[in-house]
Amino acid sequence: MNHPQSHSFRSRLLLSFLIASLVPMIICSALLSQISRIQMNKQMEADAQTQTDHILTALDRVSGVLPGSTLMLEENPLLPRAFSSREDTRVNNALFLATEGSRDLADYSLYDLQGRQCYSTGSVTPGSTLPTRWGVLYAAATSGGEPVYVATTDPDSSEAPLLQGAQMLKNAGGEPLGYLVMDIYRRNFQELFAGKYGSSNGILLLNRYWHPVYASQSGLSAELAPALRAQLLRGGYPGAETEEFRYQIQEHQPTGLYLVLRQPQVFTKSTMKLLRVASLFCVLVGILISAALCLPLSRRISQPIGRLLKAFSRLEQDDLDVHVSRDGEDELGQLAAGFNHMVQALKANRQELVENQRELNQAQVRMLQAQLNPHFLCNTLDTMKWISKINHVPQVALMSTNLADILRFCISAEEFVPLAREVEVLNRYVEIQKIRLSDQFTFLVSLPEELATCMVPKMILQPIVENAILHGLEGVPDSVIQVCAEQDGEDLLITVTDNGHGLPREMIGRPYKRESAPTGHHLGLYNVDTILKKHYGARYGLYLDSNPAGSGARIRARLPLRRKEESEC
Amino acid sequence: MRKNALLLALLLPLLAGCGAKQPEPLACTPGQEQRLVVYTSHKEEVYTPIIREFEERTGIWVDVVSGGTNELLQRLQQEADAPKADVMFGGGVESLESYQDCFSPYICREAASISQQFQSESGCWTPFSALPVVLVYNTKLVAPEALTCWKDLESPAFWGKIAFADPQISGSSYTALVTRIQAGGEEACLTGLCAALDGKQLDSSGAVLTAVADGSCLVGITLEETALQHIAAGEDIALVYPSDGTSCVPDGSALIKGAPHSENAKRFLDFTVSADVQALVGERFCRRAVRADIPADSSLPPLSDLTLVSYDVEWASKNRDRILSDWAFLLGEVPA
Repeated sequence: MNHPQSHSFRSRLLLSFLIASLVPMIICSALLSQISRIQMNKQMEADAQTQTDHILTALDRVSGVLPGSTLMLEENPLLPRAFSSREDTRVNNALFLATEGSRDLADYSLYDLQGRQCYSTGSVTPGSTLPTRWGVLYAAATSGGEPVYVATTDPDSSEAPLLQGAQMLKNAGGEPLGYLVMDIYRRNFQELFAGKYGSSNGILLLNRYWHPVYASQSGLSAELAPALRAQLLRGGYPGAETEEFRYQIQEHQPTGLYLVLRQPQVFTKSTMKLLRVASLFCVLVGILISAALCLPLSRRISQPIGRLLKAFSRLEQDDLDVHVSRDGEDELGQLAAGFNHMVQALKANRQELVENQRELNQAQVRMLQAQLNPHFLCNTLDTMKWISKINHVPQVALMSTNLADILRFCISAEEFVPLAREVEVLNRYVEIQKIRLSDQFTFLVSLPEELATCMVPKMILQPIVENAILHGLEGVPDSVIQVCAEQDGEDLLITVTDNGHGLPREMIGRPYKRESAPTGHHLGLYNVDTILKKHYGARYGLYLDSNPAGSGARIRARLPLRRKEESEC
Repeated sequence: MRKNALLLALLLPLLAGCGAKQPEPLACTPGQEQRLVVYTSHKEEVYTPIIREFEERTGIWVDVVSGGTNELLQRLQQEADAPKADVMFGGGVESLESYQDCFSPYICREAASISQQFQSESGCWTPFSALPVVLVYNTKLVAPEALTCWKDLESPAFWGKIAFADPQISGSSYTALVTRIQAGGEEACLTGLCAALDGKQLDSSGAVLTAVADGSCLVGITLEETALQHIAAGEDIALVYPSDGTSCVPDGSALIKGAPHSENAKRFLDFTVSADVQALVGERFCRRAVRADIPADSSLPPLSDLTLVSYDVEWASKNRDRILSDWAFLLGEVPA
């Protein structure tokens, strides 16, 4: 079983299985993870865009307050007098009216030109001031009437405002009257942004110079903001994706703020690791399944092949008893069956060959026995002929001459003779028999001229005619034996017909049957048939029949039509 | 096998190619003409508002590197060939003076408004605030009359109970030491103070106030600003301007030689002595402005009421190594 071929066959089969199962799987898992990653990233990007849009819209609300409210206050005729006469409820009413609908965003206060807080929608601390030469009021005074937004320094404070907006209030003549200031506290931002970004995300507001203004988590202002600013100043892209987070940065033009939205990455290292472990597990399962499927299959294929190979090698050593057991009806089973069938046919062929050889040998031995001292017999017959001539016994002389001719013909070395010569020897024989049987029968020969040279094995007609004379004509008056040669296609057909007793019933109407023969009776016919079959093949031989013209037998010998030169082979 | 390799080669870009696309740099990235790099040894609460306001007013992005005075000055010296910073903001002027090779002289625009005593002769530095040396004591443990002058420190009551930072480490401590020398003569003062310390020195100037406040020391030597901050925080501390003389050495800023953004640096130096910033110095940082037109906070005695020694900045910076090694020797340490 341990043929190297079967091993290489098996390993190749295993390799094919592995490739067929693993390559598509690996590609598939890689593609899947890549596609889902792309999808997730797209989703994240879309989410980020939606959320930043929401937040920027919220910031638009913030930036929309100051210009509108300032306009409303400036149009109020009370304003010029508001800063000289304190705690006027009508001014407060005007302030509340001007900031209606926006008071969830911030506390609004009116400061006079000295930076004293005069009115506020929040609580008024007496004596509370803002420096006019510093910070938000200075910026508002120098901005040319535009609203300004200034971040305070502590983005994590919940008591101090994180962002202050201010706009100068002017009278109709353009003279400055005071300031409208909005204080946006941590709670305002929280309320403003609530529900506008994902709970796992973080948001960070940066001012124009990327200092933190507000952060949803304190870590963002303390760590992320300086890191982003440093990145920006180094000239890199701030907020490039990291393994943990993705950043979306967008500017809010009216306030000059930058919004940073931080999203945790979906495909973190641990997710990738998990995916990789899962893929590895699948690969392992694939290897196991491949091996489990491949080994029995390769065994199923290689074992019958191995058995066949072994059988072939036995066959090469001439062992015709080899037999391959078959496992199933598949192609390999059919192959094994075919092999068995072939071996059986070979064996039968071999047996037939051996049988033929044996029979031929027997015939030759018989012929050798028949040649026992024939020369002595010939000479004796010649002597007898001359003695009988001297003593005037012509029958003996004729018989001796004929017998000697027949004997000489028989012991001649040639195996094949022309049909004419065969017929001549047959005539000699018939003469002898006529003397023996006192001329009781008529012998007719019909040999066409063109068949005279046909080559036939010698002494094939004599046994047939002898059979007719000995078994057929006894006691039959006017008996006739007729020998007729004719051409039948490629074959030569020699028919011996008599009008005697005919053949036994069981021998009629079929080719000569060998099994029923060599017991003494009809031994001559058997020998003739054997000689024809050995020389020419199974389809030639004797055919026994009844005489179609009435009583008697007809025996036909069929042999291939061969001329002299052809018979050499 | 080759077919497989080909397949992989085809798929590989698909698998790897979907990397992060690098977005373009944001438009707000400032150009070089909009930048300033500041090394500062000030505390965060001092430099942050000033720098934020400077940014808002000028549109210049300031990159702040903060650290200890000596650390930053050494760094400047190392970077002298290719300076990264534009301005050194903070540090006693005698420290700046001793590193004057790193700086390039600049007389700020409003120099005329600065008090004469805080002017730099060479223009090497621009003063920022005035910091008199003061003595502090724990109000629970020491009677006010027990400490009025440097001499009182040598009284046996305070032996071993004086909080004083190692002048090798603390610049303000060295200023105090030189002030003491100027007030009373070198030899006698050093030995007297040394004996009074009884070999004890603190590791940092910040520890002086803590030690006095928690009572582990009775008295301490520090700067007015530090003392005022702790007093404002409600600690049981009072300060004394020594009647036998104190100094009022300013801290300052300096333009770094070869600064990459020197124009912006000059604007920053001008800004630090502008009336707006100097007003803030007095109001918020418990310091004294260096401008003559901005008086000290009304709660503080005006400088003119104090006994001031003539503090020779140049002498202090030249003799630093010698004085410090004498001091170490007197304290019984082996000089390095």
